[in-house]
Amino acid sequence: MEYLYGIIIIVGLYVILATSFNLIIGYGGLFSIAHPVFFALGAYASALLARELDVPMPLAMLAGALVAVVASVALALPSLRVSGDYLLIASIGFQLGMLEVIKNLRFTGGPGGLTNIPPFLIREFGRESYVLLVLFLAVAVTLLVRWIARSDYGRAMSAMRDDELAFASLGRDAMRMKIVIFGLGSGLAGLAGALYAHYFRFIAPEQFEILQSAAILTMVVVGGLRTTWGPVVGALLLQALPQMLTFLNLPPSVLGPIQGMLFTGLVLVFMFFRPQGLLPAEDVWHGREGLGGTRRN
Amino acid sequence: MTANVLEVRELNKSFDGIVVAREINLTLQSGRVVGLIGPNGAGKTSLFNLITGVVKPDSGTVLLEGAPLDRLAFPQRVRRGLSRTWQHIRLFPSLSVLDNLLIGTHDYPGERLLNVLFRHAHLAEHDKAARERASDLLARMGLGHVAGALVADLPYGQQKLVGVARALMGKAKCLLLDEPMAGVEGQSYAAMQRIVREVADRGVAVCVVEHNVAFIRDLCDEGVFMFAGAIMARGTVADLTRDPQLTELYFGH
Repeated sequence: MEYLYGIIIIVGLYVILATSFNLIIGYGGLFSIAHPVFFALGAYASALLARELDVPMPLAMLAGALVAVVASVALALPSLRVSGDYLLIASIGFQLGMLEVIKNLRFTGGPGGLTNIPPFLIREFGRESYVLLVLFLAVAVTLLVRWIARSDYGRAMSAMRDDELAFASLGRDAMRMKIVIFGLGSGLAGLAGALYAHYFRFIAPEQFEILQSAAILTMVVVGGLRTTWGPVVGALLLQALPQMLTFLNLPPSVLGPIQGMLFTGLVLVFMFFRPQGLLPAEDVWHGREGLGGTRRN
Repeated sequence: MTANVLEVRELNKSFDGIVVAREINLTLQSGRVVGLIGPNGAGKTSLFNLITGVVKPDSGTVLLEGAPLDRLAFPQRVRRGLSRTWQHIRLFPSLSVLDNLLIGTHDYPGERLLNVLFRHAHLAEHDKAARERASDLLARMGLGHVAGALVADLPYGQQKLVGVARALMGKAKCLLLDEPMAGVEGQSYAAMQRIVREVADRGVAVCVVEHNVAFIRDLCDEGVFMFAGAIMARGTVADLTRDPQLTELYFGH
């Protein structure tokens, strides 16, 4: 059972990661590969606050998310001032550099990682309570991003992505909007990190490597860019499916390669046969009916 | 009603030795429509880019109602009342015609993320007012029936009208139109002419870059002739088009 809970939690966290990344790359049109490092910042900040300073865990988790917000805004401000493309380059540097910093600091546990992170909810109420918390937050984040995308704010995001200069010519500040989107998306990744840390109770730099960025991007693209349920489906498919294979009781020497083949195979199949993702990307903005937006006749 | 709305003083700009603006002095007055005429490459669109701050000048200053704009970025200048359209329209293809116009209101409280998350009651009122204004504007342009259509589904002439309507959603004091008539004919032509005149009659200072001499003659109170980044002459459109020297510059040798 504990193994199954672990899988559910991992899938739930990847739903949060993929959905928040969809906000950044899909709705915001911002190219970044630093999502795993904001995931890491949330995990480390929350774990350290709770372990070293005895900060109550819900507060520590919020602080973890906040650290990711602050770091992402600090990254986005100077890079977006240069140009949109520069954010991608800066994010590569930040992803690699920040992880090196974490590896080399003493209080983060260095390359060996951080152990004995205090658990949240598990001792008092059992593991099920934490599973429910993660599932609740995964649904909440998915609905939050959907709500934003369909609001007036979503309409403005759509316009900004369509044509930045035309957006500016109507008195709109594209840069401010991008920073808000990037900060919010990264903050949600930080929240996922905090949730990760207090369940598995062990975090190490290798869990947040740049390869994670490819995995999250694949989930969004395979599932469907700029859709509500695309990242959810992507996270399920690319996290749950390989995990489920372990129930086949294959020897590890066979299982590892099969999981790898499944992962790359899925990506290849989608690139050839369904580049738009499982759910087609929404190229036309849809608001809520009534107040929120104008539907096409 | 002839107060100076926009003043351009000694504006200079060159790109790697190619001069696009040479000592440009220009005033636009409330209620008047000025046509900017000149051959391709004369620097007409560049002048719009310099006035709006899309491109930074090497020297010179731009004043809107006496206040210098030089330190303000493009969107901030627009918020002050400097509005422009684009030669290539630049509508938002993912949005309906009406939504394109709604983006044109400079300040839309529903677009602040905090307001989205904690929906305030006054948003609905603001939303309703903006929609009414947009619908009204579309109706006056004869586009009421396409408010819900995607812009890509519209004929080119109607797209140009939507571009102008979108620029008018803000509180423009000065309106710069970049080739509003290129590719526009029939009903859209008449609607464009009517709407530009209406805007000027409300006290907006209008400047039009246009190759369509008939449109310039019908609409503009005066013309400014540009060549090689400099203003060569300013006067009535009839005088400018009669001047043999300018005609030669326009059509080349």
